[in-house]
Order: sequence, then C-alpha cells, then structure tokens
Amino acid sequence: MRFWKRNKAFFKLAVLSNLEYRLNYFIDAILQPMIAAGIEVTLWYSLFHTLGKTEIGGYAQNSYLAYALWTAFVTRISINWMYEFRMIEDIESGTINSLLVRPISFFESHLSQFLGYKIVTTLISLSIPLTVTWIFGLPFDYSKIPLALGLVTYYLFFLHLTSFCVATFAFHLNKIHSFTVAKNLTLWVLCGELFPLDLLPEPLKSIIINLPFSSGVYLPVGYLTGRVSHETLMQGFLSTTVGIFIFAVISIGLWKKGLSSYSGTGA
Amino acid sequence: MQTANANKSELVIETKGLSRVYKTYKKKEGILESIKGFWDRQYEEKVALAPTDLQIAGGQIVGLVGANGAGKTTLLKMLSGLIHPSSGTAQVLGYTPWERKHDYLRQMSILLGQKNQLWWDISPMDSYLLLADIYDIDKATAIKRIHHLAEILKAEHVLQTQLRRLSLGERMKMEIIGALLHEPKVLFLDEPTIGLDIVAQTSIRQFLAEYAKEKKPTIILTSHYMDDIAKLSDRLLLISKGKMVYDGTVKDFTKKSRTYQKISFSLSEPLDKDLHIASQNLTKGTQEISIQISNEELQIALTQITQISGVQNLKIEEADFEDSIHAFLEAQ
Repeated sequence: MRFWKRNKAFFKLAVLSNLEYRLNYFIDAILQPMIAAGIEVTLWYSLFHTLGKTEIGGYAQNSYLAYALWTAFVTRISINWMYEFRMIEDIESGTINSLLVRPISFFESHLSQFLGYKIVTTLISLSIPLTVTWIFGLPFDYSKIPLALGLVTYYLFFLHLTSFCVATFAFHLNKIHSFTVAKNLTLWVLCGELFPLDLLPEPLKSIIINLPFSSGVYLPVGYLTGRVSHETLMQGFLSTTVGIFIFAVISIGLWKKGLSSYSGTGA
Repeated sequence: MQTANANKSELVIETKGLSRVYKTYKKKEGILESIKGFWDRQYEEKVALAPTDLQIAGGQIVGLVGANGAGKTTLLKMLSGLIHPSSGTAQVLGYTPWERKHDYLRQMSILLGQKNQLWWDISPMDSYLLLADIYDIDKATAIKRIHHLAEILKAEHVLQTQLRRLSLGERMKMEIIGALLHEPKVLFLDEPTIGLDIVAQTSIRQFLAEYAKEKKPTIILTSHYMDDIAKLSDRLLLISKGKMVYDGTVKDFTKKSRTYQKISFSLSEPLDKDLHIASQNLTKGTQEISIQISNEELQIALTQITQISGVQNLKIEEADFEDSIHAFLEAQ
C-alpha cells in the first residue's frame, strides 16, 4: 500500500512539474516530435524520388513514410536522456541527499516521475501521428495499438534500468554526461530510430532485432505499420524481460558500490 | 576530553570508533598538469572525522560546534545514513543509519541549511502533500500540522508560492516545516539559520525552542551562530580537526568561560616588531588588537600593555560564549 502511495505521489510530482512550464511542455510534447517527423519524412520522400524506385527492401514509399512519422512520436516516449541527466545531476550536485534520508528509493522515485512525465506528454503528442495517418491514409493497423504501446511501456522499465546504471557512475566520477550522449547515439541505431532495422544485412539484422533495444522503436512501430509480425513482437517482450533481469542485477551492484563511496556532496 | 555520557538505558544515539576518511584528487595548476592528470593522478586522504565515541540520550539537544571542515557535517551525514563510515559503528534508535531502513528513515529528519530538500519547481504545499504520501501521513493530519507549523513560523502566506520564488528566509522556514512534518524522534539540524537576517534567525530559534519543548525530540544542532547553540542546547560538543575536544553541558562551559577576560585596544601606529602579552603572541604590523587571557594572567598582561606606546581605547570585558568557544578551539 505504502509502495503505491509514495510512487503515485512521485508520478503526480512529474505531472505537476511539467505542467508548471507551459511553453516548455508544448515544445517538448508537440513541436519537437513534429520537427523530427518532418525531417525523417522528407528524407525518405527525397530518397524514393532521387532513386526513382517504388520499393526499397520490399516496402513501398508509404510504408517508410508511416514508419518515419510514427518513429518520431514513439521515440518521444522511448527515450530517457532527460531523466538520465537528472539522475546524474542529482548525484553530482547532492540533490540526491533529500531522497536518501527519506523512506523512498532513488530508483523508484525517478521511475515514477519518468512514467508520470511520459503519460502527460504521450497522451497529447500521439494524437498528431494518429490524425496525420488518418488524413493521408498511411499503412497502419489501429487494432495493434494496445499491444505495441504495451511493449513500449514495458521497454521503459528496461530503459530506466540502463539509465540508472549510467547514473551510478556519477558516485565515482565528476562529469559523466558524455556517457549519456554516447549511449543515446548507440540507441539511435540499435532501437531503429535512424532507419528500419530490417534494412540491415544478415546476421546483423537478426542479432540487433533480438536485442531488447529494438522494443523501444523498431518492433512497436514496425508492428503498427506492417513490417513486423505478431511473433516477432512477442519476442520483443521476451528479450526485454531478459534485459530487465540483467540490468537489474548490474544496477544493484553498482548502486551498493556507489553509495559506499558517496561523500554526500554539497551539504 | 571532558565527557557528559548519557545513561545507557535511554540512549538514542551511540557511536563507537566512528570515523570517515575522504579521498580527494590533488591537481596542480596549468594545462600541462591537466594533461598529465590523464594517466598520473595524485590522491590524498583527509580525515574528516577521527574515531569518535558518542552517547546521546533521548530528548537531549546537543550543540555541535567547530570550525569549517572540523567534521560536524560529516558526523551528521553518517548518523542520518547519507554516507557510510570508513570505520566504526553507529546506532540511532537501534538502527544502523547507513542501512537506510525505511522504519528508521520514518523516525528521523535532517535539515541541511545549505541545501534545498523540497522540490524547486512546485509550491511548498504540493511538496508537503508529497511528503505526507512518502511518510504515510493521512492528508487531513498533514494539512493540520502544516498550518500549525506555518502559523508559528508566520509563513502561511507563502505556502502556495513556487519554492524557487521565495526568499532565503522564507525558504528555510518551508524547509523546517518539511523536516518536521512527520514529527521525527531524532532531528539533525545542520546550520538551520545560515545566511539569514537577525529577525529570521531569532524567529527560527524561538520556533525550534518551542518545538523541542513540545515534542521532545533528540536533536543534534550545528551552527556558526553561537546564540543558536547557547539558547537551544543543553549539551555542547566541540569538534576540532575531526576530533571531539569537549563534551559537556553548556552551563559548565559557560562557567568555565568566565575565567577568561577579553582585552581589546588599538595602537596609534602598527607594531614594529612581534610582541608577547602574557601567553599571547602579537605579530608585527598589527594595529587593532583583541586577545583573550585567563584571570591569572590579567595583571601581568595589563602591565605589559601599559609599556607599549600609543595604546588607545583599552577595554577589558568578560569573554562571552562565542569568544570562549573560539579561544578553546584555537588552543586545540
């Protein structure tokens, strides 16, 4: 009971904090993914026109446009650099002190805030690709939305664990923001944000699709736009579960090691 | 070292050989040294707190005093579970603090005067309701306590204002309410009045005195303002360079301090050489002089002072609490 009560409170805190700054919220939830979608769609449109082809890798232009559009908005849900920066900042600046001396865990509080922030931005931002898809008749299966979003939500737990692991390095090193930048550049390719993973040659394609990172963008967006089968999507749940287990073990070790050397910065 | 050990049966805080050593990176200035630092880093160890044995009984208000870097905050950080010790043990309310058991954290609170602990982007009231959920306090009780505490602190008008928009004094009052909302049995106050004007200092001091009288928590208080310590504490711990150098009642220390006199005077010209006045050294170039000496040394000191030429504004006063503490710590 206490667990849900305190986590609901942090979930609410993220909603309150984000709604406090209206312009930032608008840019973050609407403008930023619209710009990303505009760039991606233009790129794929130009590529088809320059090459003069009707299909690339077995899929038509509309399939790529739908993938590019939905990728921009789903990525908006499945990235965590902002909360990773916040966790790092909390440890570096000593803001973590206010959590360490209270009956709440640092991991839990940030996860609840992260999910609260995602809910408050996702509900608004997803209305845009839904409208665009409907207007332009892009390939899309509305009945697949619950399962695809279910995988993205599940992936968020995995993603938060990876961010948590990165943040614990801040207990030992003074500046580690570059870790987050490097990690996000890697994820940009591995999750399928840069291009659909089915364009990769074998065996790279099978390896990367079977890693948990593909559950963030490629599997859910591919499933919604007709590139990924139901079986492959379900494999995403499995690989994400394995990823959660592995990173949970790593993060427990890193957290204990980090706390034992923490010097209570800033107080 | 004088001690004022508490009755074992009512101990709330007990430490044995508790110490903390920090390892810091020592970097010489310049670009070349920065480049060299990529493969060859020099580390040094600093003892923030030497092995310390401490016993504090329930309901005591302990004033912890020492210069910057003496180890006061390090001790509070370990007792509140923020950091692990390098050696030794500690028990607070029967718990090992750095295990950070939720049952322990629910019964204690730490207020770090130089650090915000409420949430910057929302109003104090929103922060308190969040704290009420964290500490499992029902909403009606929490609201009643918030208004009660805010009323005593005369701060009800800022409860709904975003924290970042409040003045330092208002923010500190809000932090105090946040620290007391769950009515902790043990309270660590680290510089609760730092940077505040005299009015805010007095109001917070009065509030803490009333709160301590009403709820009787065990309190460890650090402050650079000796008035805070003298008016709130019934036991005094003096810490110097990581070591406890005095442990006794404030009353005893004050009694002892009356054996000191403060002599101050100015000179028409700066001193042209080093001088000795009783056991005190005056360095060349000094013009404004303030020294503290024992009653036994008073006569000889006055004889020596009258032999110096150009002495003006000679004043002899009984040393106050703050002077005595400074003199005591300097002598260590």
